[in-house]
Amino acid sequence: MFTKPLNTLLILMVTMPILGWVTYKKKYRKIRGLYAVLGLSVTAYFLYELYLEVSEKGNLRSCSLPFGACLDIDMLSIFMALIYVMIGLLAAAYSVKYMERDTGLTEYYTLLLGMVAGMMGVTFAGDFFTLFVFWELMSLTSYALVAFRKERWAPIEAGFKYLIMSAAGGATILLAMSFLYGMTGTLNFADIATGLGSVASNEWLFVTLTLIIVGFGVKAAIVPFHTWLPDAHPEAPAPISALLSGVLVPTGAYALIRVLLLVFGSIQSVWQMTLLVFAVLTMFVGNLMALLQDDIKRLLAFSTIAQMGYILFGFSIASQQGLTGSLFHIMNHAIMKSLLFLCAGAFVHQVGTRDLRKLEGIRQTMPVTSMLLAIGAVAIAAIPPLNGFWSEWMIVLAGIEAEMLPYSALMIINILLSVAYYLRLIYVIVLKEPTPVSKKATEVPLSMLIPIIILAALCIIIGVYPGPFVALAQQAANATLGL
Amino acid sequence: MIPLSYYIMGAIALYIVGMYCLAVKRNMIRLVIGIEILINAAHLNFIAFSAHRSPSFIDPLGHSIVIMSIVFAGCVTAVALTIVTYAYKHYGTLDVRKLRRLRW
Repeated sequence: MFTKPLNTLLILMVTMPILGWVTYKKKYRKIRGLYAVLGLSVTAYFLYELYLEVSEKGNLRSCSLPFGACLDIDMLSIFMALIYVMIGLLAAAYSVKYMERDTGLTEYYTLLLGMVAGMMGVTFAGDFFTLFVFWELMSLTSYALVAFRKERWAPIEAGFKYLIMSAAGGATILLAMSFLYGMTGTLNFADIATGLGSVASNEWLFVTLTLIIVGFGVKAAIVPFHTWLPDAHPEAPAPISALLSGVLVPTGAYALIRVLLLVFGSIQSVWQMTLLVFAVLTMFVGNLMALLQDDIKRLLAFSTIAQMGYILFGFSIASQQGLTGSLFHIMNHAIMKSLLFLCAGAFVHQVGTRDLRKLEGIRQTMPVTSMLLAIGAVAIAAIPPLNGFWSEWMIVLAGIEAEMLPYSALMIINILLSVAYYLRLIYVIVLKEPTPVSKKATEVPLSMLIPIIILAALCIIIGVYPGPFVALAQQAANATLGL
Repeated sequence: MIPLSYYIMGAIALYIVGMYCLAVKRNMIRLVIGIEILINAAHLNFIAFSAHRSPSFIDPLGHSIVIMSIVFAGCVTAVALTIVTYAYKHYGTLDVRKLRRLRW
């Protein structure tokens, strides 16, 4: 029906409640988590098979209407899906221990698998219909996951805010789709592009462009529409924060650039300027706000907004190098930000607070987690030789080559701002004298440490050997541009 | 037959009403209704376009996406009303302006 990896995820999602019902007894609680981890590993294997198939035969197009969906899988889809499955797998493995005190784990894993399936479907979509269906699947599951700890007030408030903003964004996308449908009579990306080629650029095209940027911009946390993010990310459970921040927000940027390049290629100069302005605004707001935070997860959430600014800047250049840099940065950002959120989650799990003033000097009692957090912070602050440096450097260079020197300079200023607050984070966690709260902490169990260690190892490996990963991102960028 | 432009004007008016509702109303359930109005504006547009594609022919694609989208709108409303119920339990009010403990 869909492809093998996506089918696997959907089957897992449907069978999880049955498994939850069978293993209702208390001593079988962990089976659900292990099932999710196992299922995501199988998905990763199928995705590898699909990767081999796509790299051999080129794009996979199938429009088996009315019983299937319209799919169009190229290297970019595979590249993004690979990141989703990797982060989803590590988040699920982390959840086994992290969520042990919560109830409703069956729903939790069902929603988690649904979210990964939704994101993968968005990247595999070949027409707006399929994209919208999976977009809504992804959004719906993420609303429920943000408000998952319903017995506390903060997740409910953050979840409601997120739901209202994101659902309004979804409705805006639907309105834009209806205009595109009215102009061309189809919803297939390729057909819309050829249909719009014959339509002279009229005012409706610009109305549609605005609606598309606003609608996807809400998910991508472009600055005037970002206000849900700093509330929703800290209040979700840590593995979900990692998934939201690492992969769900970049999915918005992915969908935006996919639609803009495929459908609005004829008015590229218009949306390039718009995105550029939004990107610079997003960087500055994210970084300046992050400087002021005392809550560790809120700091990381604002940093996500800033990183989205860098990614959008690379996309708005729309050259091969800019896209390669941005896609490589999406991958690096997913790894680094998941690492940081999972470390923050480890502190919350052991100490029960997110306040940086109470977490001072926690290195003395949680040495391994603190060191891993420091690796992530150094990587995301773009300090060589870790992975964040390479991708941010590539975006800056692409900006200079495209004769956008002032914007590249603004991005370098922003990277320096981010160094300031990440060094502060390292200073607070590692160097300060411990407080009474952090003295009582103990190191997290091994099953939570393993996902964090894998992510930190990836940071170092990609930093030292960026070659193969850059090549993969470049293949994806070439597929986007149709080279 | 009513011209197409009337429908588009109606849809845009509905969209503006929905956005107004989201921006101004204080009751949480009204906000959920505002979301529904926004989605229905897009639905109206789809149906109008599919009917006006060509004379004496109605394009089924527009209708099928509207039916799918109605299902999703129902799901969104269900999740939203669940969250509203919990918010009422925590805050004892449906006034959305009381939900501002999460500032900065």
